[in-house]
Amino acid sequence: MTGRFPGGTTPDPVPATVPGAPGNGVGPPGAALPAWLRAGTSRDSPPGFPAAPPSGFPPPGFPPPGPPSPASRRGPRGGRVGRRGPFLRRTLAAGTDVLRRMLLAEEVATRPGMLQRLDPRAKLLALLILLLAVGLLHHLPVLLVAWLFALLLGVASRVPVGFLLRRVLLTVPLFTGVLVLPATLSVVTPGPLVLELGSWRGDPVGVSTTGLLAAGFVITRVGTSVTLVALVAMTTPWNRLLAALGALGTPPAFLLIVGMGYRYLALLLGTVTDMFTARRARTVGAGRHDGSARRFLGASAGVLLGRAHLLSEEVHEAMVSRGFRGRVHTLDAPRPTAGDAVAGAVAVLTAVAVTVADRALG
Amino acid sequence: MHIPDGYLSPQTCIAAYAVAVPTLAVASRRVTSVVRTRNVPLLATFSATSFLIMMFNVPIPDGTTAHAVGGAIIAIVLGPWAAVIAVSVALLFQALLFGDGGVLAYGANVVNMAIILPFVALGVYRLVAGKSPLTARRRVFAAALGGYAGINAAALATAVEFGLQPGLFHTTAGVPLYSPYHLSEAIPAMMFAHLTVAGAAEAILTGGVLGYLVRADIRRLVPNHPGIPLTDDAVVPAASRWSPGRVAAAAVVAMTLLTPLGLLAPGGAFGEDAPEDLDLGSLGLDAIPTGLARYDGFWSRTLLGDYGFADGGNATVAYWLSALVGIAVVGATVYLIARAVSALTGRGEPPDGGPSRPAEATAPSSSG
Repeated sequence: MTGRFPGGTTPDPVPATVPGAPGNGVGPPGAALPAWLRAGTSRDSPPGFPAAPPSGFPPPGFPPPGPPSPASRRGPRGGRVGRRGPFLRRTLAAGTDVLRRMLLAEEVATRPGMLQRLDPRAKLLALLILLLAVGLLHHLPVLLVAWLFALLLGVASRVPVGFLLRRVLLTVPLFTGVLVLPATLSVVTPGPLVLELGSWRGDPVGVSTTGLLAAGFVITRVGTSVTLVALVAMTTPWNRLLAALGALGTPPAFLLIVGMGYRYLALLLGTVTDMFTARRARTVGAGRHDGSARRFLGASAGVLLGRAHLLSEEVHEAMVSRGFRGRVHTLDAPRPTAGDAVAGAVAVLTAVAVTVADRALG
Repeated sequence: MHIPDGYLSPQTCIAAYAVAVPTLAVASRRVTSVVRTRNVPLLATFSATSFLIMMFNVPIPDGTTAHAVGGAIIAIVLGPWAAVIAVSVALLFQALLFGDGGVLAYGANVVNMAIILPFVALGVYRLVAGKSPLTARRRVFAAALGGYAGINAAALATAVEFGLQPGLFHTTAGVPLYSPYHLSEAIPAMMFAHLTVAGAAEAILTGGVLGYLVRADIRRLVPNHPGIPLTDDAVVPAASRWSPGRVAAAAVVAMTLLTPLGLLAPGGAFGEDAPEDLDLGSLGLDAIPTGLARYDGFWSRTLLGDYGFADGGNATVAYWLSALVGIAVVGATVYLIARAVSALTGRGEPPDGGPSRPAEATAPSSSG
């Protein structure tokens, strides 16, 4: 953990500086954050990612300069919110967002905060225990308290709470909300009516209390779980998270694939954005969803597969030439401290407390 | 289709992990047993590719966009076990980094999208493509159909997982604790979206990528298509795989697989009530129509009347016997029809009798 912000301030949500990614020692601490991360206008070689694509360029008009649009914050499957729109632009926006999130996660992981100080293994174990406890709760108030607890942890760890809530409210419950809203109706969940909306076959139909409760369960449970996962994922550098997964019994070969896959994700993403930017530059207007669009999509995914194949052969030769013989060695992980034990105990106690409270309510 | 935490009960999640973890272990052993060192970077880059393919917005003809999973094309290019690993790793990225799909629900997501999808897709692809050469148009069609079938199988599994929740897990007051939809609501809702938009996205992507690879990069396809010739010229005339026995077996298997549909259908079968059960008032009748009354008991010499023995004993045994006899009769009937068709058209002859039919390279799905 070498990165500290000059002056101790943490600009929010996007900082002016990004510390080197711990563990791989590539990014210099305090390197200036590329302009594209702030404005989302161009791509650059991100610090901390080995074998990053060569220095980029501002692609014309993508995405619109200025503060990041809400559309570019929606994650890898960012097109979920509104379905209409040119597929080129939407895929490019999603690509920018992937890189933005990768860097934001690395940056938040180096902020001085409560969760950042803990051992990743303790955090991962605590996460699993708490997720199970949240999954087994039977009362809405207890679930709400658990959610509040998770958000307070976020504040203590300097994870932008707005980001956490957006992740919950934008990414998941759109899936959740769309699926859950009809469940409030008495057609789906029979029960006493709160709001009568009409009648069907002589029976009144409307929003039922049982339906509202069921929807509340899903939304609070999803919200709490997503917040907890986001907290651990955001406050732990990716490579240390993988090491912790290994300490919990995940096979090293699988983790090696995950770790390398993450690294080449950044590289292959460059291939995708290059192809899509070039296509956009050649397209007049928004571009129709016709046969040529589908051919382009098939071809670009095909090129991607070919590039991945080629890349894997080169990487394989490089690995073998450096002595890789199929066995995976990991560096010794740091020993857990007393703080980690306390944190683990707090997590277990919290899980027990919410479960007991839940049972006490009947 | 990425299930977040909170939709499935922890018990369901643990059951899904119990399926996913051993499958992942088998997949790891399968792909790393041959050339250990080469497959690590191969799977790493293909995991990244799988993630990026999930990011693509696939243009749908109606002007909307949708996301594909990409498990089908990876299974076709690299084999099903590699697809299991690649999609699982991509799902891990999404769950941990992007909050897309839960951590407890990760096992369920792996089962649906990384196990069911690639295997179903590859099975359909191989069935439809048959032994046609790699450059045949039929292969592109087969790939699209495989992707379509794969994502719909995954959606059906997801819907079943959702639909089981309200019945199994609810408070004492009957409020569903997790997904509130029953099977009869979850399955139509999921299947409508996937039979139309999402299925089209996966089909467009899978067929499009295979078409591109055939045009531009065909050697990527060779390793996972053993014994498949590149072009029409290299085709060795082979015996048709179409035989009356196979058709009959396929019909029986298909109907057995479709049986659960009967459990979803509400009410009873239309028009099969006994005359005395008819609701005459609602039909505007005062008596059972005379023809119906006269011919109702016309044929009573059945072997297993009402799916039971004549004396009414051993009801369970009789029911099973009825089911087996029914399956055998249906299979035999299809077999006889297929025999008759093959005798009339001259198709499906054994390889030693008569001149073999040259393999159809362009006709899509002649084996269907």
